[in-house]
Amino acid sequence: MRMIRKALVLLATVPVLTLSLAWPAAAAKFKLGMAVGGNTCCEWMKAQGDVARALAEKMGWDYVELSNNNDPAAALKNAQIFVQQGVNAVIQFNGQPSSNPAISAVLKAANIPVVTYDIADPGMYFVGIDNLAAGIAGGEQLGKLIKEKWNCAPDLVISSEGSGAGIVNTWRTGGMRTGVKHICPDIPESKYVSFEGSGDAAVALQPARDLLAAHPDAVKMAVVGINDGGVLGLINAAEQLGRADQVMGWGQDGAFITGKNVNPHLMGSVFYFLEGYAVYAIRDVIGPVAAGKAPALKADPGDPASKVEPCPVSAAQAAKVPDMPERVKQLLAAPPGTTEYALFCPNK
Amino acid sequence: MSLESAINSTPSAVSPKVRLRRWGASVILIGAWLLLIAATGFYRHDFISHQTLLAIAFTMSVVGVLAIGQGIVAISGGFIDLSQPACLILSGLVAVRLSEAGLPLVLVVAGAVIAGMAWGALNAAIIVLAKLNPVIVTLATNFIGLAALYLVFQLAQVPNNSPIYNFGRSSVLGLPAIWWPMLLLVILVGLLMRSTRYGRRATAVGGNRFAAQARGISLRRTRFATFVAAGGFVGFASVLFASAAGPFNPSSGNTLQLNVIAAVILGGISLAGGRGNFWMLLLSVGFLSTIPTALVFFGLSSDTQSIFQGVILMIAVSIDGYRARRGTP
Repeated sequence: MRMIRKALVLLATVPVLTLSLAWPAAAAKFKLGMAVGGNTCCEWMKAQGDVARALAEKMGWDYVELSNNNDPAAALKNAQIFVQQGVNAVIQFNGQPSSNPAISAVLKAANIPVVTYDIADPGMYFVGIDNLAAGIAGGEQLGKLIKEKWNCAPDLVISSEGSGAGIVNTWRTGGMRTGVKHICPDIPESKYVSFEGSGDAAVALQPARDLLAAHPDAVKMAVVGINDGGVLGLINAAEQLGRADQVMGWGQDGAFITGKNVNPHLMGSVFYFLEGYAVYAIRDVIGPVAAGKAPALKADPGDPASKVEPCPVSAAQAAKVPDMPERVKQLLAAPPGTTEYALFCPNK
Repeated sequence: MSLESAINSTPSAVSPKVRLRRWGASVILIGAWLLLIAATGFYRHDFISHQTLLAIAFTMSVVGVLAIGQGIVAISGGFIDLSQPACLILSGLVAVRLSEAGLPLVLVVAGAVIAGMAWGALNAAIIVLAKLNPVIVTLATNFIGLAALYLVFQLAQVPNNSPIYNFGRSSVLGLPAIWWPMLLLVILVGLLMRSTRYGRRATAVGGNRFAAQARGISLRRTRFATFVAAGGFVGFASVLFASAAGPFNPSSGNTLQLNVIAAVILGGISLAGGRGNFWMLLLSVGFLSTIPTALVFFGLSSDTQSIFQGVILMIAVSIDGYRARRGTP
């Protein structure tokens, strides 16, 4: 009797075991992890996640999104969560890259490939803009205006720095100064001044006012910066001090050069179409990984896994570019692999 | 005359010695401010200019109104309201949405003030009904509020050339239009805190809540009214902020918090409650707003400014602690 009972239990166990072993293989979908930047400064950080989610759903993948909260410790913890969640690949934007080596090590140990946007790490596929090239491109456009309007003799070239972004600030803001120097090489170094604008128009306002007050005689001022917000901070400060007509700025990232509220003293910007980076990452890295054909690791911004083209535009050109929500809508409706650069850049 | 009305109408007994000490503190603060202006003006003659005056006055405007709200919370014994950044952004967002809808400035202001008062009422309800520490409650509501705001919006901006936009960029009698309401409010609140029943009750509750209770003053009602009023001031500050700041995001108000607390403490408003002078508060806001501008004229960086502000805050807290131990105003 006992033997029969054992045999029945065994018989009942076999299909259950067989099913349990077979089930994960049958149901295992590719799972993409996305760590968004999580800095409240910038609308595009949230949009990067929205686009990645939509594209992952189109591909029929599972999708897990976490926020780095603009905090290196949170970014590292997110990498550990991705490992626990069993994701097959990760995309991240980490604006506080000090934790990138640790994140890279955690994900490498779990054999999970990771794409990093805009800030390179030797262990991660680099997808993004060449920030230095973008900075120089914007600076050259502003340099042309300085030459045209002020004969390359401005009283000041003001940099709205965003030191918290580290090397990205050096590339972009420093690149813009370099671009201005390409067009107007004889501007004396003493004319270049900086203030900390933190890449936030509201935060930049007070230090910008103070800087303008400390240069009461300057009447021809060109403004560059890490992003549109930082540049706009100085323009707003100039408006408050009654000196708006003395400044002209050129930003980076295109955040404030479209829509109804474009300031007339923001002469242009450089679009990266940051919200649409997932197209590049999925087309050139994640898609092949999901197909079992992982590409060779390319971690160098000079030779990236996927290169995003900078798109410098004047305010007049930018007026014809849709705002971010509309761009995202059109991007998601376009054929797979289509980039925003291809869809919207007027200076291709 | 009832006992309570007699108490309420009786002027506070302040000895001439104490009055002299109060004046002494004002004189020291004015002296420090004048010294800073003179030293910077001596180093750079162009410091004494209309541009500098405008820069300092703009900085004073938002910080000053926020400091009024923080001041009445401190005087009434609520320590400090750490949720001002979330309240500022919430009310600012209301101001932006109302101005986008094309409403006149008066209604935009009313909407923002009501939003601020509603936020204050939320804080007050939790503090009063659950009998929780105001510092912990406002810290928590600030976290919750900012996170919730981040879910709702990433950037807000009053429309270019709308009435509120122009208000933030116009001048009256050579000073920013947004500076004058701050000045009027400081004077008005300073007077009302001394001359109204609510003002005296709030001060009494902050000074000694047991004695106040023994005098028949309702702690709950006084504290509730204090947080609602403080929220209203933050709501008004948000109009000045939204009019001047350009595009802002949920974290744009965070940097103001330290300046506001420093201004309140340096202005002699005790964090332990029961003591405060809004004339001194105006001086401390002016002094603290002059420091970053002066440092730029000395060629120092923003990082150095933060060090100076931190040191001044520590000095102010030490003075406040010393006063509390000595029992002097």
